[in-house]
Amino acid sequence: MWQELYEELGPHGLVPIAVALDEDLDAVKQWARDEPPVPLTYPVVVDRDHVVAERYGIVNIPTTVWIDEHDRVVRPPSIAPADDKFRDFTQIDSSVHHAALRSWVLDGVAPLTDDEIRGRQIPPEPEVQLARAERRLAVHLLRAGDREAGERHLTAAMTLAPNDWTIRRGSMPIRGEDPFGQAFFDFYQEWEAAGRPGYGA
Amino acid sequence: MSDTTATIVDDNCATVVHATQDDDTLLVEADDLARATGWTLKPEGLCRDDICVPVRDRGALVRDHHIDLRAFAVALGRPLALEPGAALAVLAEGSDGVGAQLASLTAPPFTLPDLDDNPVALADFAGRKRLLIAWASW
Repeated sequence: MWQELYEELGPHGLVPIAVALDEDLDAVKQWARDEPPVPLTYPVVVDRDHVVAERYGIVNIPTTVWIDEHDRVVRPPSIAPADDKFRDFTQIDSSVHHAALRSWVLDGVAPLTDDEIRGRQIPPEPEVQLARAERRLAVHLLRAGDREAGERHLTAAMTLAPNDWTIRRGSMPIRGEDPFGQAFFDFYQEWEAAGRPGYGA
Repeated sequence: MSDTTATIVDDNCATVVHATQDDDTLLVEADDLARATGWTLKPEGLCRDDICVPVRDRGALVRDHHIDLRAFAVALGRPLALEPGAALAVLAEGSDGVGAQLASLTAPPFTLPDLDDNPVALADFAGRKRLLIAWASW
């Protein structure tokens, strides 16, 4: 769907940039090259250190951020599924996002006022920023082969930011856990009981 | 205490510094810390560019002519993740700093590798409308 939107809106100036919050490059390549019906022709970058997640305040996926010609954020991080495949879970109608995107690109309609943008932002708690530092330290240690210390700091990150999917679920493949298995279902129930924090279109 | 080198990752940029491990902290040479983080200790406090942050407890910050990395992070209000045994430290942006950045509505720059390991920057597409799509295989 993102590829289709690119083919529709790219000629009118839109540049999609897919940012993969993945540690394993092969997993990203498989998604970008094999899974879609056509090869992706827009940029796909790999953010192993979650630089974009930290700088933009992204806590879950799939999330979009709209940036205008003057480097201004005109729509802050929001959950935006490409299609309605997981609508029962997301509770989000993907066409609303895509229609607003068309209005912005084709007709220059700003989706939100500045105050509305700020109202939707979720500034990070200090614990979340510490969790991001702990996660980054952990992946550096794991890449260097220091399994014990890496796991310890990853656990620290997950404890500090229990509702951040980029940290909680994103750590599952790194820890050798199935991100679609029991560890995920346990986390999902905990997150839903907490009121699905950080999840809004 | 043992002399060693350590790596400080600040704003995702890694710098190797001379350091001494001391219990659960690292003592870093002031010049090296300035190289890694941009912050220099002056009489008025910790300074970078035109900004100086007063230091309340200079005795905790400076020991044996070195700067205590944990005290440094506390003085600047920045989160620090540290593994002294591996001589590795990561400084993140403070939550206030991120909040101010978000509220400015200015898109933070970034440069990341694509699938062929070529760098791609947000600024490569300056002057155009951009749609960031954060996703993952998990």
